Amino acid sequence: MRARTRLILTFLFPASLLYIVFFIYPALRALYTSFFDWSGFSDNARFTGLDNYRQLYRDDLFIESMSNTLTILIAGGIIVFGLAFALTILLNSGIRGRKLFRAVIFLPNIVAVIALTTMWSVAIYHPRFGLLKNGLAYLGLESWSTILFTSPQNIFKSMMAAIIWINVGFYVVLLMAGIDKIPTELYEAAKIDGANQVQMFYKITVPLLWDVITVGIVLWSINALKIFEFPFAFTALEPSPNTYTVAVYLYVMGFGQRTPIYRLGYATAMGVVLVLTVILVVIVLRRVMRREVIQY
Amino acid sequence: MKNVKLLTLLLVAALALPLGVGVSSGQDEVKLVYWSMWNETEPQAQVIQSWIEAFEAANPNIDIQATWNGRQNQTLVRTALSAGETIDFVDQDADPISGGLVAEGLALPLNEYLDETALDEDMPVRDVFTPGTLDLFAVDGQVYLWPYVYNTSQFWYNKDAFAEVGIEQPPATWEEFLDACQKLLDAGYDPIAAESDIQFYQIDYLTYQAVRYGGVGFLLQTLEDPTGEMWRDPIYLQAAQNMRELWDKGYIPPESAGYLWPAGQQTLGVGLAAMELVGSWLPIELANVVEGSFEWGGFNFPAMPDGAGDQNDLMVYLLSFMVVKDTEHPREIADFLKFITTQENMQQMADEALVGVTRVDVEWAPEIADGAAAAANATAVFGMADGGVALYPELVNNILYVNWSKLFLGEITPEEFVETMVDDQAEYWANAG
Repeated sequence: MRARTRLILTFLFPASLLYIVFFIYPALRALYTSFFDWSGFSDNARFTGLDNYRQLYRDDLFIESMSNTLTILIAGGIIVFGLAFALTILLNSGIRGRKLFRAVIFLPNIVAVIALTTMWSVAIYHPRFGLLKNGLAYLGLESWSTILFTSPQNIFKSMMAAIIWINVGFYVVLLMAGIDKIPTELYEAAKIDGANQVQMFYKITVPLLWDVITVGIVLWSINALKIFEFPFAFTALEPSPNTYTVAVYLYVMGFGQRTPIYRLGYATAMGVVLVLTVILVVIVLRRVMRREVIQY
Repeated sequence: MKNVKLLTLLLVAALALPLGVGVSSGQDEVKLVYWSMWNETEPQAQVIQSWIEAFEAANPNIDIQATWNGRQNQTLVRTALSAGETIDFVDQDADPISGGLVAEGLALPLNEYLDETALDEDMPVRDVFTPGTLDLFAVDGQVYLWPYVYNTSQFWYNKDAFAEVGIEQPPATWEEFLDACQKLLDAGYDPIAAESDIQFYQIDYLTYQAVRYGGVGFLLQTLEDPTGEMWRDPIYLQAAQNMRELWDKGYIPPESAGYLWPAGQQTLGVGLAAMELVGSWLPIELANVVEGSFEWGGFNFPAMPDGAGDQNDLMVYLLSFMVVKDTEHPREIADFLKFITTQENMQQMADEALVGVTRVDVEWAPEIADGAAAAANATAVFGMADGGVALYPELVNNILYVNWSKLFLGEITPEEFVETMVDDQAEYWANAG
């Protein structure tokens, strides 16, 4: 037993070392930095205790960025999974070209983010020449065609629509892979017993897919909380405060843009809050989603 | 005879020996590390690369290693310097580098090198610079930045559109400006192009109005007021009302509230709009969009009624070199900077990169000739947000830009803008420590 333990530890050691060096140490270092007023340019860091965290509480832009992030997490998550389930059910209903549809729905996940942001902000949402405006006008929906999808009032919702469109495909593929594992005999037996599609969905599909759904929701939560690339690139030259997420605002405050704000200590405090939020959300989700595993 | 020959050889060798020592010590290999804000394929980078090659050819013992980082250069330099990496000199937009590396005390003062004679003129090299550019970001008389690219902030306009509606001379006063906008609107143009998401374009309307009404430094003084009460000065309410007037009258078309860069400026390039308040890079950015016969013009922000400022006071975006304080080779870097500042090299930058430059006797590209004239005639120059970006970046970015943008896009009224600035700025200074 002792020899076995020693063997296990020996094999675990390299990976653990890498984990400590590239994750644990930087995370602890970041936590330490968050208690300082530091620009990052030199060693002149001034200890300020919890001042950075107190300032977060008063910072309207941070509060707005956190609100945006949580909206993406919750509202975005509900819509993504709702659409993913709907498309999964449709694709599994026996239609022809299932694999082709699945590939098309998954396609945005393999296209570069910068190409997607350009497509949405220029080709689709352009107030004059955009596909959406002209398509709506062509369909006779004149009042809808005058909507400025990238005005300050609408830009966040428009960006979220694009984020949802990009992400739905990934979760469709995830759910379909899970559904493919469910024995068809269960559905046949249910049909014989008189179950309809909705009943089969709630009584068979969802319970047997529960662990896949849990993994999917946790993945979505982590990605939604730390989302950066799309909001950053959506407004080409510099991110708009209306589309700030916590990760974007952290970058603005810590890494300097055209205005040279270099508050690395403050930005790190945001990072710590973000990590704690992720941990809290994952813990809550794991508890809420816990149920007995059904073997089949 | 043999002894004479031997003696002669020994004598020649003895005489030649110090020369050999002198030559080898004077030709010590010097490596200079340069981190650049340009991407390698950009015309400005290619010009700088040619400068480096020419300088190295003239100074075979000097090797300049360039790293083309792109616009995040200062952020990357920060990390590298913290990690102990050797970087000798860098370049960047002057406003951010002044508020970054220079403010952190990492820049070498350049006064002594600027007092040296220029390579191609019998005068101190500081005298070949366009007036105002060297001192703009000086700190207590010390110059830390060696500017080389000069961008002006002006209204860049379609000369044919203006001529079509009978505007022979660009407007010089606010009243003439509004009149010009109305004529353009009546003729079917969008008078002014604007972007909804570029706050540092939008703020130029406030910066210029503050400077025209109150003089250079007035906005900066306002930003420095710890109570924020200077925002109650009537000029700021007037400036905000003037801004809304441009929108309310349709001079800035309503769909501009949804234009994400570069959608707004594209409308100028394709002839839908007539002008835009922006940097002198615009004609070059739109070079592939405009028709071949498009004639560019630029005019200064108009004078405001009863304003204390001069219409020739000019906002500039400078791009500058900076020498890292701890470099071991300041002499060689200074020689390189003097080399690039010759008329020939500056003209090459102006011709090949189609940008304005900071040397007086250089001709700019025809598209931005009005920028050159504005630079030559400038009564004073000032930086972004009247210097506020360099000195108070967080106040400017997180409070001024945000609130002005809300005003610009109609989310708040002029009165709300003033009150919000008073409150937010007071809170900022109270917490600034």
